[in-house]
Amino acid sequence: MSTSPPSVQFDTIGSWEADNVSAGQVERALSDLRGHEERAAVRTSVLTLVIVVGSKEEADEQLDVVRHLGARHPSRTLVLVLEDEGQGESHLDASVAVCVVDRGGRQVAVEEVVIDVRGQARFHLDSLVLPFTLPDLPVAVWLPTRILDRGDPLLEAANRVVVDTRVVGYKPDALSRLSSISHRVAVTDLSWWRLKPWRNLLAGLFEGHLYRPFLRDVHHLEVTGHAGPRHLFAGWVMSRLDLPRSVVHLGDAEHLSAKLVATDEGRRGRFEVERKGDERVIDASVEIDDGPSFQQKVHIGEAWQSRALADALAHMGHNQTYEAALEAALGLLR
Amino acid sequence: MSFDQSAAGDVNPLADPEDRPAPPAVFVIFGASGDLTSRKLMPAIERLAVRRLLPPGFAVVGVARTEMTDDDFRERMQELVEKGGGGGPEVRHVWESFVGAFRYVAGDYDSADTFDRLKKVLDELDRERGTAENRLYYLATPPSTFPTVIKGLNEHGLSRPTSEQAFARIVIEKPYGHDLQSALELDRIVHEAFDERQVYRIDHYLGKETVQNVLALRFANAIFEPVWNRRYVDHLQITVAESLGVEHRGSFYEQAGALRDIVQNHVMQVLSMTLMEPPVTFDADGIRDEKVKALKAVEVLTPEKVKSQVVRAQYARGWVGGEEVLGYREEEGVSPHSTTETYVAMKLKVDNWRWAGVPVYVRTGKRLPKRVTEVAMQFHRVPHLPFHLKQVEDLEPDALVLRIQPDEGITLRFGAKVPGQAFRVRSVSMDFFYGAAFMEETPDAYERLLLDALMGDATLFIRSDEVQRAWHIVDPLLQSWENDDVALAKYEAGTWGPTEADELMEADGRRWRRP
Repeated sequence: MSTSPPSVQFDTIGSWEADNVSAGQVERALSDLRGHEERAAVRTSVLTLVIVVGSKEEADEQLDVVRHLGARHPSRTLVLVLEDEGQGESHLDASVAVCVVDRGGRQVAVEEVVIDVRGQARFHLDSLVLPFTLPDLPVAVWLPTRILDRGDPLLEAANRVVVDTRVVGYKPDALSRLSSISHRVAVTDLSWWRLKPWRNLLAGLFEGHLYRPFLRDVHHLEVTGHAGPRHLFAGWVMSRLDLPRSVVHLGDAEHLSAKLVATDEGRRGRFEVERKGDERVIDASVEIDDGPSFQQKVHIGEAWQSRALADALAHMGHNQTYEAALEAALGLLR
Repeated sequence: MSFDQSAAGDVNPLADPEDRPAPPAVFVIFGASGDLTSRKLMPAIERLAVRRLLPPGFAVVGVARTEMTDDDFRERMQELVEKGGGGGPEVRHVWESFVGAFRYVAGDYDSADTFDRLKKVLDELDRERGTAENRLYYLATPPSTFPTVIKGLNEHGLSRPTSEQAFARIVIEKPYGHDLQSALELDRIVHEAFDERQVYRIDHYLGKETVQNVLALRFANAIFEPVWNRRYVDHLQITVAESLGVEHRGSFYEQAGALRDIVQNHVMQVLSMTLMEPPVTFDADGIRDEKVKALKAVEVLTPEKVKSQVVRAQYARGWVGGEEVLGYREEEGVSPHSTTETYVAMKLKVDNWRWAGVPVYVRTGKRLPKRVTEVAMQFHRVPHLPFHLKQVEDLEPDALVLRIQPDEGITLRFGAKVPGQAFRVRSVSMDFFYGAAFMEETPDAYERLLLDALMGDATLFIRSDEVQRAWHIVDPLLQSWENDDVALAKYEAGTWGPTEADELMEADGRRWRRP
């Protein structure tokens, strides 16, 4: 999976780093950097983004994703690096950078704070996040490779948690933990956004009075793809159409495809969205007995992580459709 | 947003309400070989397809006089899209599967054979492509052909939906008539074939995000509406300025002029959105009812008032952006004795509770120093300034400016203390740039409006009574000018208009803003 689109002009206009520091020192350093650099003063942030990662390499990787995001969702980014198991005394090493992203001649200042958290502090991440939140703006916590427990104090500081079932979906309890978190805070799943073209296309096949009636009698739904996304997709169709578990069939495949068979007034209709190969094209097709039969090809764009994240962050509230899909997906695992 | 009868059926449970996918339909373009189709319609259709907003059951039928086969038409549309920067290799498959459903009907608009063949093609598409008997007709032809095309559709049974679930809608481009009488006559012809709810009169200005943002700003915020009235507002200034001349549209512009080309439609739309009362509901009739009420409150000028409150002018040779440009009468396709106005400034009165006594100054023109559209609301001065005159000599009245294009956003001008030992107050501007806060890619106006028409959402289209009210306001000016009652002033290209326009403001103790 490609993580970043090409070419975003990104300049670091000021930076600071120190070991064994307090959150207050980091805050002051950030404030000083902004105060001494005219370009940094012009800030149009729309959120505070917190990323929880397990290593410095992962921190660099995700910061690169966020830099591409900067032009669409200018933000203050706080990366919390959790490399140890939380034994011993708290210890923070930090680096701060103020950067300017250029897009189409418009410059946007963004701030990056990376804190290497060691010792007991890893169990109190909310106390590290709250001093850095921008006033009156939402806080999104992005967990690229993990899912927090429902009781994790970090959730206190979050308006939204961003996860990716494509990455964690293979873990047996991932969806149930996610469901549990979603009762406490709004959850955005990058997989849900990557599945959007498939969701749009399948929905589009039922636009209009000729096709809509088929949704009343669906007797076969087949979804193939990776664990996680395929469950989510099938869960979405099940929850929207109130389908029983017995009509749903899942299978493993590299790319997601879905086939739905339904009947209206004795006529059988086959509705399919399928990605056949590595080319980023989906075929959507309809075949109705004694009726129209046609196909449409749709380009799905690159699967850049920054694009999925940008889409995910454009919606800050609870997404009831997603939450219902998640519950139904859980039913498929039972 | 509201939908007409045909679209209001059951909801697709799989559709995401935010995505607004269009229903299956055939998009029939009259004037398919023309400029509007190439520049606006086809690029908009391509973007909608790439954004997955068009369903598989979607087809395009081009109708025009030019002889072409279906393949020629597909090839031509492909070239247009590529020329416009679309249709790149990454969307090649999309386009190829999409243009398979493109058909072309060559013929004269006054020939029954053209409509017979069109009907046949539409039936075929319904059977083969599942377009569900839904039709969206688009008149991208010269206005003189509108009645012929509408009559042809009517006589061949194409103007009415074939069933209760299907729809037949027609999109009509501006200009809608060239005066009140001709607009009424066109309405009569249209209504013989289509019900008003099937008619979508388009003014692309309404498809602009920032024009819609006027509604968001006014009706989604608590802080602006309380000051949006005569108690706080001294006067309004609406500016629609273009730096371009008539380019290659000289002969068209000779017949239109700034009043018909800009004031009757764009200015009246912006004006009505600025003046309207809060709608009860944010749907097509909720909004359009209030817009019509606002236009009804705008004073219709008497011939005497046209003389004293309206300035018409024409640009002479001058310099714009470091380049010497021709005067209007020297432009290609323009008569050397032309009296067509390229600039209009006017003062309007609004007779209702909210705006009584607040003059609205409107100006529009070609070859002005820059392209800008804005609504500026200038507030009253404070009743008493507790400062020495010297301390506030740089203080202008507060103003709220809605910038519609370019640099869409809002500017609030207010007084602030100048830093230092002395106490001096000066005007400062607080700027909000729409593009800096929302870096989302915004849909093009035609893209938005075409999708709305397919969805049956008429909110951003102009209703018959709106067009008529706008002509009621504009008609007395046309009549006075025809009688040569108002002198035609001159202004140098690259300036903000003639001195007569400045005098119009100065007579009220005011002056034009410099946008």
